[in-house]
Amino acid sequence: MENTTIVETHSLTKKYGSGVLAVDSVDMSVRRGEVYGFLGPNGAGKTTTLRMLVGLIRPTSGTATVAGHAPGDPRSLARIGSLIESPGFYPYLSGRENLMVVADMANVAHKRVDEVLDIVELASRAGRKFGTYSTGMKQRLGVAAALLKDPDLLILDEPTNGLDPQGMAEMRRLIKEIGHGDRTVLLSSHLLGEVEQICDRVSVISNGRLVRQSTVQDLLGEEGVLVRAQPMAAAQELLTRMFGPEVVSSRDGALYLKTQPDRSVEINRTLMNAGVGVSELRPYERSLEEVFFQLTGEKQGS
Amino acid sequence: MIATIKSELRKTIRRPALQVGSGLVGGVVVLVYSVLWYQATHPGSADRPVSIAMLYPDNFVNNVLGAGYPLGAALMIVLGALIAGSEYSWGTMKTLFTQGPSRLTVWAGRTIVFAAWAAFMTLILFAVGAVSSLVVASFEGHAVSWPAIIDIAKGAGAIWLIFAANGALGLALGTLVRQSAAALGVGIVYLLGVEIIVVRFVDGLNNGAYKWFGDLFMGQNSIALLQSFSPHPSLTIGTEQSVGVLLAYVVGLLVVAAGLQWRRDVT
Repeated sequence: MENTTIVETHSLTKKYGSGVLAVDSVDMSVRRGEVYGFLGPNGAGKTTTLRMLVGLIRPTSGTATVAGHAPGDPRSLARIGSLIESPGFYPYLSGRENLMVVADMANVAHKRVDEVLDIVELASRAGRKFGTYSTGMKQRLGVAAALLKDPDLLILDEPTNGLDPQGMAEMRRLIKEIGHGDRTVLLSSHLLGEVEQICDRVSVISNGRLVRQSTVQDLLGEEGVLVRAQPMAAAQELLTRMFGPEVVSSRDGALYLKTQPDRSVEINRTLMNAGVGVSELRPYERSLEEVFFQLTGEKQGS
Repeated sequence: MIATIKSELRKTIRRPALQVGSGLVGGVVVLVYSVLWYQATHPGSADRPVSIAMLYPDNFVNNVLGAGYPLGAALMIVLGALIAGSEYSWGTMKTLFTQGPSRLTVWAGRTIVFAAWAAFMTLILFAVGAVSSLVVASFEGHAVSWPAIIDIAKGAGAIWLIFAANGALGLALGTLVRQSAAALGVGIVYLLGVEIIVVRFVDGLNNGAYKWFGDLFMGQNSIALLQSFSPHPSLTIGTEQSVGVLLAYVVGLLVVAAGLQWRRDVT
């Protein structure tokens, strides 16, 4: 039986000569067929980790296995398509000619060039020089190049970087289409909504360390109930007595209860019977943004 | 390796800098022939008299060799630095290194294609020189006789070697500094200034006791190799030595650059 893990790292570490510890003992595992989000603020170590996975950077210590082989091994690279940071192409060549250069290097038949141009919807503009492309077109050409080998694993590093809202939506749709089926997509991003919409599992990296790896659902945690009432102090006292202090927390003028939303009727009745006016009572789900800021220790809106 | 060469060839052929470089080499030969022809047919227009016989086909090899150094050498440094350095500034290095072939295979493919381009430029140089000499002979009503094939081949080999050595310097500098502008600047300053000053200084030390060291520089050996084709050569460096030293530069510079490319992180 084939191994279900396509990317696995153990204590992967990169320390630059300047003493900067860019990636610190990262243990990551990406399963076949999933769309995996690699989240982290700018400078957290995402790109450095991805560069190590494709063999562009050598780790200082630790190990990694990508598509069954060491990073950078030709057998591994033959099964990986990647777009790391910005797309790198020759500005004096057209989009199609650039893909042919890459196809030659990867030993891929030229008919595949037209196939991937169709997938990224760039066929009509493939004859224009790369240097004249917009940011969105450049990103799409980068994705096309990554798809040339029809790879088992697609590594996309911040693919929506620099795109306008429409371009970002198109790119998300494209990634969803690409990730449909057996192909694994490893996507790095600092855009939480993007990851929440696209990914099956995510990991969060902060200051070079992987602080969490789980499904999006697990990361968001269980559902709860949000209550806004007057007077707040009385409402908090009642609900704490009812559920216990570990279930009730207060912030931003609201009470958050870690309990099933189907207890809303009971909560409403208790508060009303005690003469507390309820202005808002609804199921509550943590956003990935909240979880992210909590895990990375960054301040929201800072 | 074949796949890598195909890929390198595809992008190199379309590169404007290389097309312009090839045109420039041919253009310079035409310019030199035109000026010399004018001077030969207009006595007093030059400091020293120019013999029209120099411009006939039997002498064309010697004439085109003059374009090999320093002009051709400088051009090859520029092209080498552009080819190696721009891969970093355009971010294409990471695109190529993640396709499958090893870094050394990619480098080998690039150097093979570059060597082939140097041969193509040599061919242009000789073809334009031959045609120019034929035009002069035809206009002057002089019988056409060509040099022996072996002499043409030796001359072409010498030019290719000088192009290859200086191109290798450009490639190595482009790889070392990971950008083209600084690399070609350093290369040109070295060729036209630094080496000349250093060699003069070394040759003058202790009544020439260290001249052997000065004779190991690329420019000295390039000049010596070209002078060996002169009807009256005044050689201070033997032809065998100049060929050996230039070959050593080609191999040494390409190996150093290959090591840098193999070992360094692509950031």
